[in-house]
Amino acid sequence: MFPRWANYLLPGIIIAVVGGALYVPLLFGFGGSAKTLAVGYQPIQPVPYSHALHAGKLGIDCRYCHYTVERAAFAAIPPTQVCMNCHTNIKTESEKLKPIRDSWISGKPVTWTKVHDLPDYVYFNHSAHVNHGVGCVTCHGRIDQMEVVQQAKPLSMSWCLECHREPEKFIRPKDQITNMDYKPAGDQIAIGLELKQKYGIHDAIYMQSCYTCHR
Amino acid sequence: MRDIVAKEFPGYDADGIAGSSRRGFLKLMSASMALAGLTLTGCRRWPQEKLAPFSSNPAGWEAGVTENYATVWEFGGVGQGLLVKSFDGRPIKIEGNPSHPFAVVSSGKYGASTLHAQATLLDTYDPVRNTGILQRGSKAGAGTWDDFIEGIRAAIAANPAGFAVLSEATASPSVLDMRERLTKAFPQVKWYEYEAVSRDNELEGSRLAFGQSLRSRLYLNKAAVVVCLDADILCDHPASLRYSSDWAVKRRSADDGQMSRVYAIESTFSNTGSVADVRLGATPDRVEAVARAIAAGLGVAGAQAEQLSAAEESFVKAAIADLQKAGAAGVVTVGYQASPTTHAVAHAINAKIGATGNTITFHADPAGDRPTHMKAIADLATAMNAGQVATLLIIGGNPAFDAPADVNFAMGLGKVGFSAHLSQYDDETSRLCKWHLPRAHYLECWGDARGWDGTASIAQPLIEPLFGGKSVIEALALITNDQVKDGEQIVRRTWKQSLATELDWRKALERGTIENSASPVVETAVKAISYPTIVAQPAGTFVIRIDANPSIYDGRFANNGWLQETPDPMTKLVWDNAASISIRDARAMGIEQGDMIKIETPTGQTMEIAAFLMPGQPLGVLTTTIGYGRGEAAGPVGEELGFNTYAIVTTGAPSIINGAKVSKIGKTYTLVTTQEHHILEGIADDAERVRLGAVPGQSGTIIRDAFFSEFKSNKKIFPRDKALPLQLYDSPRVLNNTHAWGMSIDMSACTGCGACQIACQAENNIPIVGKTESVRHREMNWIRIDRYFKGDAANDDVAIVHQVMMCQQCENAPCEQVCPVGATVHDSEGLNTMVYNRCIGTRYCQNNCPYKVRRFNYFDFHHKDPREKWGRPWPGLPDTQQLDIDKVKRLVYNPDVTVRMRGVMEKCTYCVQRIHGATIKKRAEGSDVKDGDILTACQQACATEAIVFGNYNEADSQVSKLRENRRSYPVLQDLNTRPRTRYLAKLRNPSDDAVAPAPEEA
Repeated sequence: MFPRWANYLLPGIIIAVVGGALYVPLLFGFGGSAKTLAVGYQPIQPVPYSHALHAGKLGIDCRYCHYTVERAAFAAIPPTQVCMNCHTNIKTESEKLKPIRDSWISGKPVTWTKVHDLPDYVYFNHSAHVNHGVGCVTCHGRIDQMEVVQQAKPLSMSWCLECHREPEKFIRPKDQITNMDYKPAGDQIAIGLELKQKYGIHDAIYMQSCYTCHR
Repeated sequence: MRDIVAKEFPGYDADGIAGSSRRGFLKLMSASMALAGLTLTGCRRWPQEKLAPFSSNPAGWEAGVTENYATVWEFGGVGQGLLVKSFDGRPIKIEGNPSHPFAVVSSGKYGASTLHAQATLLDTYDPVRNTGILQRGSKAGAGTWDDFIEGIRAAIAANPAGFAVLSEATASPSVLDMRERLTKAFPQVKWYEYEAVSRDNELEGSRLAFGQSLRSRLYLNKAAVVVCLDADILCDHPASLRYSSDWAVKRRSADDGQMSRVYAIESTFSNTGSVADVRLGATPDRVEAVARAIAAGLGVAGAQAEQLSAAEESFVKAAIADLQKAGAAGVVTVGYQASPTTHAVAHAINAKIGATGNTITFHADPAGDRPTHMKAIADLATAMNAGQVATLLIIGGNPAFDAPADVNFAMGLGKVGFSAHLSQYDDETSRLCKWHLPRAHYLECWGDARGWDGTASIAQPLIEPLFGGKSVIEALALITNDQVKDGEQIVRRTWKQSLATELDWRKALERGTIENSASPVVETAVKAISYPTIVAQPAGTFVIRIDANPSIYDGRFANNGWLQETPDPMTKLVWDNAASISIRDARAMGIEQGDMIKIETPTGQTMEIAAFLMPGQPLGVLTTTIGYGRGEAAGPVGEELGFNTYAIVTTGAPSIINGAKVSKIGKTYTLVTTQEHHILEGIADDAERVRLGAVPGQSGTIIRDAFFSEFKSNKKIFPRDKALPLQLYDSPRVLNNTHAWGMSIDMSACTGCGACQIACQAENNIPIVGKTESVRHREMNWIRIDRYFKGDAANDDVAIVHQVMMCQQCENAPCEQVCPVGATVHDSEGLNTMVYNRCIGTRYCQNNCPYKVRRFNYFDFHHKDPREKWGRPWPGLPDTQQLDIDKVKRLVYNPDVTVRMRGVMEKCTYCVQRIHGATIKKRAEGSDVKDGDILTACQQACATEAIVFGNYNEADSQVSKLRENRRSYPVLQDLNTRPRTRYLAKLRNPSDDAVAPAPEEA
């Protein structure tokens, strides 16, 4: 009564239904995840500033420009003056640096676009992290290799919690905070546990409490 | 359909949703579907944020770090020392200056501030102030400062004798200096000073007693016996912070076996009366009679014993005995509404018992000898009406609204050829003047002021004038064509002598006060006082007592929503004023709560006002407040609220009107009193006795209350906490962090002033909801002050307990048990956390909270006018909602606290942002927070140090010690919620042998 190909109809339908049922959640799950959405975000900045050159090749410490990172919640974006400390002598005629010179003369700010932009209900504090052994590279990736800065990590809540649950997997000695190339001298877990003790890092229950980050 | 939509969603474009064509509708729907799709599939990031660093950083400035600056705010001629927190160039919170002698609390740990000072922050960002210079009657309507200067100079030149200045009360040295310069430039100028809430009777009284205008300054920390004659020294006084802080010292010392005794006889029910040990309500003439009787009893020369009623007799007898016993440690103080003779009598009593120089000192009035405010305004109005004033400059104030009814100020103002008003708002007075000149807010300009004892402070600006206003001194400098026109330079010039070097100047700025600038103590003897016959109140009439409004003062804060929504400390009224009437008077006249009544004064003024039945209000006295009943000129928040009491104020009877007739007129009015809004479980009929204790001195499970004499003798008067064997909920899990946050609230020290409420509102970005939503119990304040009556309300025989109530941070929290989405959970430091982004708004937690401290945001109160029923029909994308909030209003927000939008539950967090701010800072330095490093917003505002926050796991922290205090107890202990906030029982000290009925517990 049915043609022979009808034998394939049932498995076909099952595959279509199951696949369809899986497709939507997977599409939203992976498509909507921070890994897909946020990683690689790379806005165009007013000045083609190269971290690869300054932080990488020239080896300027992160804190030379982002100087409030150890004291404040917010890691300062350097005022024009910091650029001009060097650029009054170096590359004084460069076309790319024109917005910087204009800002210096006019006193008006250079308007940068925020790359690592957390939701407003997250009260992230840089000083709380860098003073307890979280390196710059852990959240920002190899900035020293980026010509144009892009977001390297998802910065999602589940990603934050990976470290808040088990900080020993990620932390490093304080003097290595800005080292982009840091390799633990031995077992990371052992070093991490020791540092956790030394720096008085909160226990996991506290670190996972909502008020730790949300207020 | 369009009509329905328009009615339901006013302000919304009905065509947008109920468009005429099906195609249009589909287009709209598909657009929103596409948008929804985009959001979900994530091709859309949240709004891009920009970072704009300075070209060159200002010295000492660090991005995103708050800084505190000392400044001063002159309010009614008296400076209040402040410390203002600034974030990225905008002031976001006002605190008291701990270096200012009238702001620092007794322990010296911080500076307290009044609710008005706290609330001025909101005025800074009031967009209504944005008026520019208005020239009424001119073609353009607007003008420039140059036009104005040209105009006023021409007007003065045309008629130099017709130039007058009307100023609000001020003791600012720079303004007084500019006044002198103005007099030099225009020798015929007449300077008048007027303030609707005037303390002139005090000055008149000191003139009677000493022959000169002197301010008195109390030292309540030395006073064992305080007799208040109609004096609300703890709340309605320019030095109330110092006084209440000092008063609290002598209350808290009860734990060490010593407690002061406060007598209050008053013609209203004031805050001071509510915390007094012995209180008697009486008409103002009886207050004076009692003052004279006390004087006579103590042997003051010339004082005659008056005929007294039985209640007055026993009050006087007890007060005399105690004052005699206390001697120099006693003090008698009088309120500003009382007659000058009463003030003089009090000075005589203080001299007699030796209090002068110990518990009270006298200082020259910084403004010097001047005519009374009432005389000044009457003189000016007479001159104006006679056409003698050709040019009038009005500095601040709002005389067209708040001048007495009998001087015809508004009519006179119409006859002035050139009139200008320098004010923050284009108000009633500005509208009658030819020119409105925008005045800079005090946080926007340089200035100076003197505190109650004359201590001088420099005011420094926290922000550039947002709407281009000028300060008083800058405006005067323009008019006199001073060679110095810059505000800072004018102030520097004033202080050239005492702050000679740049270092002195900077030190004064940093400290917020100028050292040794207080007026010296004046030692003077009391002269013989004459005692005119007291005019008794005619039978069948009422005394109308007119007070400053505890929230909006004389009407100047009408457009300030924070203050409008702060309940009156006694009546708990919001958004209105009313006439408080005693229960017995009301019953006799058949008046119910909210009935409209008509007041007719003997001088022929009439007004209609709603009646508020106030237990404990003295018989025959109606208390009402000024400031309400303003029209559209008050601004969008303050317009058309309450009743204009200035209609019955006359120069002869500015605050006490005798012989008024009161009648019911058969209309009713909706009054909103918040006391019943968040009622704790079982405060009704029979349960009341168990919960509150029926009479003073009797304890319940909410209020613990005892007489001091018994507290001293009976060590077991308050039962210790007991563990309940039966538990409804599981035991709380172990909270083993090094920090266990907790709070202690001393009900013996709380005066109910309400400063904590505004402090919380400013700190935690709490919206206001408006009157119509307040009627529905939807106010959002995280902290409230419950005011409980004890005793026999029907016979006006009541005592009051003020209880500050906010989230108790229960260890065994009932709210957590019922949340279906885990939006409220515990952290390991013992905080009951509220997670806004998890909350779906079921409000189960609110229902299950026995303390009724959770607040739900029904209508996006932040971004829309609370009077509109709906802002718009959809809530907006979650991350763009806040962008709709007015750009200027937005500046007031604390960046450390989420601005919650609609549909989310919220509540007190113990100022978790302050906890984390301090902890992170200390831990970054390698140490940990210690006791006193963290002050919650409510604590920092509290002058009496009734609120103490700290760590229970720190053995010697103040809060740990207070937990071991005999008076410490948790509210509603029988529910076994184990609150982290504990209360200290209320103690009263009416006599040495008062014994209370046995406490009953459930």
